[in-house]
Parts: sequence; structure tokens; C-alpha cells
Amino acid sequence: MSLFLIVALPFFGALLPGIMNSAGRSACFGVTFTVTLSAFVGLLTNLPTVLAGEVVMARVNWMPELGLNFTLMLDGLGFFFAFLILGIGLLIIAYGRQYLSRDDHMGEFFTYLLLFQGAMVGIVLSDNILLLLVFWELTSLASFLLIGYWKHLPEGRQGARMALAVTGMGGLAMIGGMLILGQIVGSYDLSVILQNREAIQADPLYVPALLLILLGCFTKSAQFPFHFWLPHAMAAPTPVSAYLHSATMVKAGIFLMARMWPVLSGTPEWFYIVTTAGLVTMVLGAVIALFKHDLKSLLAFSTVSHLGLITMLLGTGTAFGALAAVFHILNHATFKAALFMSAGIVDHEAHTRDIRRLGGLRHLMPVTFTIATIAALSMAGIPFLNGFLSKEMMLEEAHHTVLFGSHWLVPVMATVGSLFSAAYCFRFIGHTFLGPVRDDYPHKPHDPGAGMWLPPAILVVLVVVIGVAPFLVQDFVFMVTKSVIGEAAELKTKYIKIWHGLVPALYMSIIAVVGGLAMMLVFKPLSKVWETTPRPEAKVIFEAIVEAIVRLAQALTHPLHNGSFTRYAMIGIVAMIAAGYHAWATGTVADPVRELQAAGPVPIAGWAMLVAATGGLVVMHRNRLLALILIGIVGLMVSVGFVYLSAPDLAMTQFTVEVVTIILLLLALNFLPNRTPTESTSLRRVRDAGVAIAAGLATFGLAYHYMLRDTVAASISEYHLANSYKGGGGTNVVNVILVDFRGFDTYGEIIVLGIAALLIYALTETLLGGPVRRRLLNRIPDQARSGDMHPMMMVVLTRVIMPVVLLVGFYIFLRGHNEPGGGFIAGLIVSIAVVMQYMASGFSWASARLKYPYHGVIGAGVLVAGLTGIGSWFVGKPFLTSDFTYVRIPPFHKFELATAALFDLGVFLAVVGAVMLSLESFSRLARRADTEDSVHPMDIDPSRNAAASGSAVDMKEDT
Amino acid sequence: MISADINVVLPEIVLAVYAMAALIFAVYTSKDKAAGLLVWVTSAVFVVVALWIGMGGNGTKEAFNGAFVDDGFARFAKVVILLSAAAVMVMGQEFMAKRDLLRFEYPILITLASVGMMMMVSAGDLMALYMGLELQSLSLYVVASLRRDSARSTEAGLKYFVLGALSSGMLLYGASLTYGYAGTTLFDGIIASIGDEGISLGLLFGLVFMITGLAFKVSAVPFHMWTPDVYEGSPTPVTAFFATAPKMAAMGLFARVMHDAFGTATQDWGQVIALLAVLSMFLGAVAAIGQRDIKRLMAYSSIAHMGFALMGLASGTATGVEAMLIYMTIYVAMNVGTFAFILSMEKDGKPVTDIDSLQMYSKVEPLKAAALLVLMFSLAGVPPMVGFFGKLAVLQAAVDAGMVWLAVAGVIASVIGAFYYLRIVFYMYFGEERDQALDTSGNPVLFGFLMLSAFVMLAGVINLFGVDGMAAAAAGTLVN
Repeated sequence: MSLFLIVALPFFGALLPGIMNSAGRSACFGVTFTVTLSAFVGLLTNLPTVLAGEVVMARVNWMPELGLNFTLMLDGLGFFFAFLILGIGLLIIAYGRQYLSRDDHMGEFFTYLLLFQGAMVGIVLSDNILLLLVFWELTSLASFLLIGYWKHLPEGRQGARMALAVTGMGGLAMIGGMLILGQIVGSYDLSVILQNREAIQADPLYVPALLLILLGCFTKSAQFPFHFWLPHAMAAPTPVSAYLHSATMVKAGIFLMARMWPVLSGTPEWFYIVTTAGLVTMVLGAVIALFKHDLKSLLAFSTVSHLGLITMLLGTGTAFGALAAVFHILNHATFKAALFMSAGIVDHEAHTRDIRRLGGLRHLMPVTFTIATIAALSMAGIPFLNGFLSKEMMLEEAHHTVLFGSHWLVPVMATVGSLFSAAYCFRFIGHTFLGPVRDDYPHKPHDPGAGMWLPPAILVVLVVVIGVAPFLVQDFVFMVTKSVIGEAAELKTKYIKIWHGLVPALYMSIIAVVGGLAMMLVFKPLSKVWETTPRPEAKVIFEAIVEAIVRLAQALTHPLHNGSFTRYAMIGIVAMIAAGYHAWATGTVADPVRELQAAGPVPIAGWAMLVAATGGLVVMHRNRLLALILIGIVGLMVSVGFVYLSAPDLAMTQFTVEVVTIILLLLALNFLPNRTPTESTSLRRVRDAGVAIAAGLATFGLAYHYMLRDTVAASISEYHLANSYKGGGGTNVVNVILVDFRGFDTYGEIIVLGIAALLIYALTETLLGGPVRRRLLNRIPDQARSGDMHPMMMVVLTRVIMPVVLLVGFYIFLRGHNEPGGGFIAGLIVSIAVVMQYMASGFSWASARLKYPYHGVIGAGVLVAGLTGIGSWFVGKPFLTSDFTYVRIPPFHKFELATAALFDLGVFLAVVGAVMLSLESFSRLARRADTEDSVHPMDIDPSRNAAASGSAVDMKEDT
Repeated sequence: MISADINVVLPEIVLAVYAMAALIFAVYTSKDKAAGLLVWVTSAVFVVVALWIGMGGNGTKEAFNGAFVDDGFARFAKVVILLSAAAVMVMGQEFMAKRDLLRFEYPILITLASVGMMMMVSAGDLMALYMGLELQSLSLYVVASLRRDSARSTEAGLKYFVLGALSSGMLLYGASLTYGYAGTTLFDGIIASIGDEGISLGLLFGLVFMITGLAFKVSAVPFHMWTPDVYEGSPTPVTAFFATAPKMAAMGLFARVMHDAFGTATQDWGQVIALLAVLSMFLGAVAAIGQRDIKRLMAYSSIAHMGFALMGLASGTATGVEAMLIYMTIYVAMNVGTFAFILSMEKDGKPVTDIDSLQMYSKVEPLKAAALLVLMFSLAGVPPMVGFFGKLAVLQAAVDAGMVWLAVAGVIASVIGAFYYLRIVFYMYFGEERDQALDTSGNPVLFGFLMLSAFVMLAGVINLFGVDGMAAAAAGTLVN
């Protein structure tokens, strides 16, 4: 049968029990059994080919871009495991049919079981290691579902949680190992990888790959220090324990170690890690198992111990070790599955698995007794049973193994392990079945129907047959071993014999069995000692680790993300400085192309003022009015700096913008408390100062670096300087750029400016209609209001200044085309002139004298600019093409007229409108509805008083 | 000339015009009452445009002298962006309507943001890049603080805005340095100006600052600080949107700038991005462990996932870009499903985001719990869920590029990260029994998306729906 079909059958079959659940339990069982049987038979059809030493391959491309191919391979090792998985699967399914009660959802159970079976078969038949990974994690998932099948048991939940956490994470780690392996070899196909022993072991990445892969194997096969999850997974139904936790899933790690044996084994790293882990697991598991009172726990730890044994054998890296490992896998699978099923029968019949409440079952359940006893004796290593054979081989191998330079360490440990192993086997038999019949069983036990005891019985028959006549399986075992070791080692042993003569292994075996029996005699006191000995409880440790991880994560996260914006900004800025430093450190620094200019006293004085103002601002920023004044100085000095660096237009713009900004801030100050409260500690301020200074120095460094060097391309300024007069008719390049070269940009900008102003207007309008209005009405100022809100001095002064400022604006506007200035700056200046009136005489008074609404002014500006642009269409030129000419109107001199000036007028109007509209909108907030705004230009007006008292001077009120 | 240009950017223009038309329609008709309709219509428009882009063009076309590039890479990213945006918008509709958050501006802002994103992934010029980026960012700033009456939402929006402005400033600074030392803003020109002797210091500064700005947009550590607050503070539908389309767009832009403009200097940026990737993966994985709020958890999860996607980019190869595209597509698909679930988390009609409320959810709604289980496993990258293939692709790309240390770090981070995804599964299946379970009534739209997403995560194992092939073709057009 095609390999694809063998793998696919369980997966497709998994749909059936779920669907057929309503058809009854037998139907569910029937389809599950049939599906597994077909896969099993399909596997057997490939037996002759495999026995002939050939490797069956099947290949189909899946995701070639990712190196993923659906490639299957059936060799001796794969066949062996697939045979175990499907064969024991059949028995488990038959057993499960009887075991599950009527209340259990059988369809669901069999669906999960088949899913798991398919994944397991997939693992052992995969040729592509990535495909293997997929199946690997799929078993974790399916086992998660199976372990958690009895969701109502809290311990089941805990067990499932631990099992998945440990094996799932191990599997994820393995991805890394597999990728490295694939990278070294250049292929993800096992058949290729297995040919590259030298390349892999010589590669510097061998160790990380090995560690990651072993992490996956050890977690899956419950090797020390990950052995703790397996016993806790035993809350699952017994068929699951028997199938997953003894025969198949936990062997997946062993399988992978065997699979990778030819390429990974033989190095000191492999030897020390694998052998040590195996040895420790073997002894530890056996010791713990002896003192467990729960039958399944006992078996679980014994499984851990035996897996350790197999791991140790694989770790030695010799051909004989591999042979012993393969043989023990076979033997362990037979007797351990039988034992689990027997334990399940006891649990099922007596309703308890607690050894302390059992005993004497020999008389009540003779059949179960026979089965369990033979299986347990095999596990203990009694001759003529299969366990004896492989245990002998193990001891033989241990005898020759030198670990950490000691000839004694491994043999002694192996003997101790075997001793405890024998002891718990005897305890299993003695305390469960032997002894007097009790009358306090939770349920009166008796032998179950044949459907339940037949599956373990079949296994026990195998135990005896192999034990008595090992030559029957000899060829098979040798064939499997050969496919494990490949060409990496040579197998010298030719036969599996029961009697080797009086070799050390036999003495060790005898010591173990006799010692085990002796231990049973002193079990009670020993048990007491064990109970009182403090020892680490894996579950508690696991929980504690989880807790600690969570707390550690929180301890890391909370200070980092405490919601404080300054902290966020600080981290960002520090990272930016670091990034800049990285660039500086890794790049090649070119030599400067110009000299540093000598600084005169005036620039130095300006610079000193700037520094003083900034420093003062940092120190005194809590006083807000003072801060505002200092900001003004900073802005002024920056403007002066622009002048110094030959950018008069920029300076003028900056200067006017500064003024408008300060006025705006003054408006805001009205609503704010006088001082900013101190919230930060001095330590934090020091830190912030450090960051700020670092950022400042970095910026300085960059600026210094660039100012001494040329950019790579010629500056665009040259072009503008050459073409400004020729093409735009102006000598002020900046203005020509604004109104001519980039007129279209400017046109867009004034529209945006207008929209922004309208938006501000709309927003404040909405705001004043809502709850903000109420808050403004109820606001109690924290300081006394001035009695003289519109002082005479200021009113008079602003009135006098206004025409002057307007004239300046007009002048700036006109000269703009050839000298620094222009519509934008003029607009700002005119706005300042108007704003001053607002400030001096109040909102109502000023707006009452307003003839043109600012909306209209903005609109007019955009319109004028747009029409100027359209005008060029009439002379057949594209939009916004400018032109200029010289005219002479007596008595004036010849002067220039440019369409650009008209466009600039549009800019001017738009700027005036936009600035005024937004300022007006903001100041509306400042108007509190409760205070009657004065209709007079000034609060205290001597002339008004005089008029009221009927004095001679008839001064009209300025209404 | 201009008509040929316009032909290339027609999908963007159509969407932009649609946004304006929708705005005017809503303003002059029933305003917020039209919002529900607008959401559905906008989604439909998105899907149509996505199909148009996906089916329509082939080859590489340039518009506006190379400022705008329409190639396989851009089309791939655009289709993902549009489809995910459409899905997320429809998903959030009921949630927002119930809480009186469904403003008619919402779909319009999303449309504008999407136009910005499409512009980003098609940018062939620094100015086009900035324009797209800002169009997207400005829309997102507003959307983040959509819930105006909530201090949290407003605060989140404000933080996002200020940090975003800072990073935009950095990006702009980098762009101007790049311009100064390359003499052009066109990507073609920038790459041409990198000589054989390597990148000049000026360009290197420009590159580093641009990476800084872009890292903020993809929320890579240490520029990720806004992410948890914004994810938690924003209304859930907005969070869902943040977690999907903008991430794809930012990644696409990142890849485009790195390869189109600095493609011959992979040595210079590969290490920087690798560092960002490692930091993101680890911080995302570790920080998520301590979270109780599922939205905040997803924020850290997104940081970790961006780390993985950056790992693909860091390798600096076509395989790397392909891996990044596969990763992002899968990531977006997973997040759509996960957020469909989060949106449906309600107790007594009120939204809950505490993961404790998921205890024993499998008993309440087995089907939804199973779907979320699939999604969580997929997010953790456990095979055979599709999420695994994304991880595999980026890890492979890193290993192939000789960055084994990066791949190993990624594996370790994914092991740590698996912890919190699995914890959600544990809560659902093996938690403690609670009296106050989540409401069972479900919105069919959310249910549909959840199931669809989970199904995709399972069925994608067959051939990833051919995404790998498309991604390979798309990556091929970017890196050559």
C-alpha cells in the first residue's frame, strides 16, 4: 500500500467516529478499528521490501519555496515504530471500547485517538524533517485533547497544561535545530541528512543544533530535567495513558534520537548529554516509582525510568547500545502497555488505583492477576521473559561505558536503577494482587469480559514468546538496528541469546533482583523515611516557575510602560541618539572642506543671550509668565541668527510669527495657573537633563559636521539665483520662489491656511455651544482681575502705532519682489497691527468696528491669487505663468509691474484673514459670557467723564 | 504623459474620490445615521478595488517620473491591506453602533488611511513616501482618539500623535540628509549614488534616521512605546484595524525603502534591523506574559510578530522579503480572526477584555473556543497551523542569510511567546469554573470571520492558498 495512504488513513478516518457518534458505540468502535486495521495491513504489505533492506520512498512537492516536501520514507526503523503504533493502537482501540463508560463521548474520543495515531505514523514515516516537525507538534496537540478528554477532573486539566507547555515548547525549540541541520546539509530530506555525518559534526553549528534537537527529544520523552510532566498527564483515561505515555508518544523523542543517531551520535557532546540525562532519569524514575501509591503513577514513573534506560543506551554511541535500545523499545512497549491495561482493569473494577486500598486481588481477578504478573516480572528482569533479555544487554553495555572518567559510575548506577526497578515491580504484584482478600474495596472487583483482558493478554503472550525464543524476532531486531546505525558503526553481535555465561551483567542482574526482593521486605520503614524526606515536588516547582515568570515579566514591563509620556519619549530619544552614534561609529567620516569661521563679539553676545535665555527657561519655567518672556527672547535670538546666516526673509517671517505666537500664548495664559507644580523628583530631573544634554550635543555634532562639508549634489540655490531676475522679474529669490517658481505650491498652501483657520473657527464655535461654555461661565479666576482691563496708555499707544505699522506692512509688501519682504510677512505685520487693537480695547469694541468679516478676507485672497493664475490662460500660457513689465507714469520714475505682485496680494489677504480668524476664534474662548464687554475703547476715559459731567469739551464718544 | 501617470494611480484616485464623495454625501444627508451604510459600501468598494488591483495589472509600471511604482510587490501588499481593512471595518460595525461610536467619518478616515497605505507601499520617491505615510498617520491619529468622551482613548491618541510626530520628524530629517547626500529623492537615484566603496556617512545618517522613523510605524522596539497604550485605549474595532492593515503597509514601506533605495547596502542596514527584530521579539514575548487585558496582550503580541517579520527583512535577500510577505499575510489573517473574537467578548452587553473572563469558555461555546484555540496555536507558531509556516519562512530566510544567531534568538523568543498564547487556551479549556461567563449571543458577522480565519489557519496547511508563490513573485519584483 502506498505510504501516503498509510499516513492519510487515520486522518481521514478520524472524521468517521465523530460523524457516526449517533450511530452507537459499536459503530464508532467498528469504523475506528477498521481504519486502523487497514493502515496496519497496508503497512505489512511493505514488510517484504523492508526486510530485503530496501527503503520505500514516496514523494510529492508541497511548498518547495519553503523547502517543504511531502516526502515519506519507510525503512527498518520507520517500519518498526509504525508497526508498534498501529499494532498497539488496534489493541488499545479494542480495550477502549470496553473501558469507556456509557456517559463518555465515544466518537470524540476515537476521533482524537485516530488523529493522534495519524500524527505518530507521520512522524516515523517522514523523510522531510520539517514535515516531521509538523507531525511532531500535531501529536502534542492531539495528546492535549486526549489528556484533557476528561475535562471534569481538575488534575486532568493541570496535567494537560503541563504536558502541553513542556512538550510544545520543546517542539518549538526543535524547529531551530532542524533549520540549522538543513542549512548545514543543504537539504531538509532525512535521506540526504543521514549521509552527511562528517559535514554535520564538523560544523561549528553542530552544538546549537544538537542542543535544540535534544531539547525537543528530552521534553517529548520526559527525560531529566523535563521528566515531571509525564506522571501528571496520567489523569487521562487509561487507554490514553497506555497508548500515549508508554507505547508511542513518549517514544517519539527516542525515535528521533534513533533516527538522528548516525549523524549526531559519537561526539563527546552527544555522549555526555544523552548518557547522563538517560542515566539520571533511569535511577530517579525508578526510585520515585517505588514509593508511588497510585498504580498509574507508579507505572508512569517506571516508564520515565525505562525511557531513561533507552536514552542512555542510545547515548553510548556504540552499535551494541543501539541494538539493546531497539530491543528494549520493543520489549518495553509490550509489557508496559499490558501493565497499563491491567492497571486500568483494576481501576475499572475496583474503582480505585490506590495500592494501599488494594491487595488480595489474586483470588478475585485471576486472569488479570496472571497477565499483570507476567508483564511485571518481565519488567523486573526475570529470565525467560523478554524484559530480562534487553536488561541484560543494557547491563552489559553499561559495564563497558566509561562516564566522566569513571569505570564504576555507569555500572553502579545501572544496577541501582535495575534494583529499584525490580523492587517496584514486586511491589506492583505484591501489594495489588497478593496478600489477603479485603472487604473494604470501593467496589467488589471481578475479572472483566474477554473484550477487556484479551488485548493485554495478547501482549503478554508476546512477552513470553520473545522471552523464551528470542531468535524469532532476532532478524527483525537486527534489521531495525542496522537501519538505526546506518553506516556510522558496525554491529559485531550476531545473536540474541538468553544465556551468555557467567558474565558481569548476570551478577548485576542477580544483585538487582535479590536487592529488589530485599527492599520489599523493608518497604514499610523505607516508605516512612521517604515520606518524611523533604524533596522537590515537580508540580509545585512548575507552578512556582510559572508564577515567577509572570512576575518577572510584569516587573520588566510595568516600569517600562507605566503610561508616562516622558518616559516613552525618553526611550525613543535615547534610542535615536544611539542609532545616530551607530551611524557615526560605523561610517567613514570625510574630511572637512572648509575652515571654521572666526566669531566676532556680536555673534558671541547673541549666542550668549540665547544660551542664557534657554538656560533660564529651563530653571524658571515653572513661572509661566517669566517662561513666556524668556521664550520671546529665544525666538528673537533665533531670528537674529537667521539674519546672521544671511536669511533676511526667513528672519522676518520668524520674527512676525514669534510675535503672533506670543500673543496667542498670552491669551492661553489667561486660563492657566500662574505656576507649574513640581511633580518630578530631582533624580528624574537629573536624568532628563542628561538625556536632553546628550540629544543637544548630538544635534550640535551633526550640525557642526554638515556645516563644514559640502553635500554631494550642487545646490539648487545656484539655479534660483541665476533665474530669479530673468524668469521671475525679481531680485529677492525667496519671494520669487514663493510667488513664481513654486507659485502653485503657495497657492495650495494659502488654501490650506484658509481651511485651517475656518476649522479653528468651526471648532471653537462648537466648543462654545457645548459643556465648555458652562465651565467658562462658572470659572473662578485664581487671581484678582485687573480693575482697568483696557488701560488708557495702551489704547492710545496702539491707536497711534496702527497707521505706522500698516505703513510698514504696505512697504514690506511692495518691496517684497526685490528686497526681503513679501505678502506673507506683510500679512503677519498687518495682523499684528489689528490684533493690538483687540488687546487694547477688548473684543466687542474691536469687532464692532470690523467692516469685512475675516472669512471674506480669506476668500478674497484665494480668489485674487486664483484669478491671477487664471489670467495667464488668456495669453495662452499655463496656469500661474507670471509676467512683468516696466512702466513709467509721470512724475514717478520707471517702475516694475509684475503679475506676481498681484498673486502676492492674494497671499497677503489670505494670511491676514487666516491669522485674524484663528486669533479671533481663540479669543472668543477668553470672553466669558458673564462679564459685559465694554463698549468703550478704554475703561477709564477722562474725556468721557468730562462729557458726562456736562463740561465744556464736547468730545464725541468713539462709537 | 499625465494621463498615463493617472492610469497607474487610478485605484488610489478612485478611493480618494470615493472618500470625498462619501464625506459630502454623509454631511448633506443623514450624517451618523448613514454610517452603517457607509461602512458596508466602503468595504465593498475596498474589495472591488482589491480585486481590480489583484487581477488587473502585471509587470512594473512607474508614474510621475518614478515617484510612484506599481509592481508585483505593491500589488500584493495593497490587496492584503484593502481586504483586511474591509474585513475589520465590517467586523467593528455592530460594536461601534452599540456604543454610539459609529461616526460617519470613521469609514471615510479608514479610506483615507488606506489610500495613504497604498501610496506607502508604492512609493518610489522620498516625497511620495512621506506623503503616503502622513496621510495614513494623520487619519490614524484621529481614529485612535475616536472615543472622545473617554480620557483613556484621548490620552492614547495624544501620545500616539506626539510620538508619531517625533518619529515623522526623524524620518524627515533622515530623508533630507539622504537627499543632501544622494542629490535626489528618487529611490533609483539614491541607490545609484551608493558607490562601490560603500555608503557615505551622510547617507548612513539618513538611512539610520529613516529606519528610526519607520521602526516607529511598525512599532519595533525601542520605538514601540505607543503600541500598548493605543491598543488598550482605542475602541476595539480601531485596535483591530491598527493590528492589521497599517502593519502590512508599514512593513511594505520598510521593505521598499531598504531594498529600492538602499538595496546595495544590505550590510549597513541588515544589522540594525536584526537588532530591532531581536529586541522586538523578546520584549513582545516577555512583556505579554504579565498582561491580563487581551487587547494589551495583543499589542505586545503584535510587537513580537513585527520582530519576526523584521527578521525576514533583516536577511536582506529576496527570500527574506518573500518570507516577510508570507509572514505578514498570515499575521493579518490571524489577527482578523482573533479580533473578531475579541470584539464578540461581552458580558451583560458590555465589552470585556480581561482574559480571566475566558475561563472554561469551552463549556459555554465549544465551537468558538475551538476556533480561538486554532488561532492561538497559529499565533504561537505551532505546526501544523499556518502560523508555523510564516515563522518557518522567516527563520529559514535568516539562516540562509547566515544569521543563525538571529534565527536561534527567534526560536527562543517563540518558545517564550508560546507561553501566553497557550495560557489563553488553558483558560478556555482547563480554567476554573466561573459563574459569570461571557454572553453567548453572537454577531453572525463576527462569528463568520472567526470561523473563516480559523478555517484558513487549518486548511492553509495544504498549500497556504498559494500565497507563498505570490509572495515569491512579489518579492522578486522588489529585489533583483
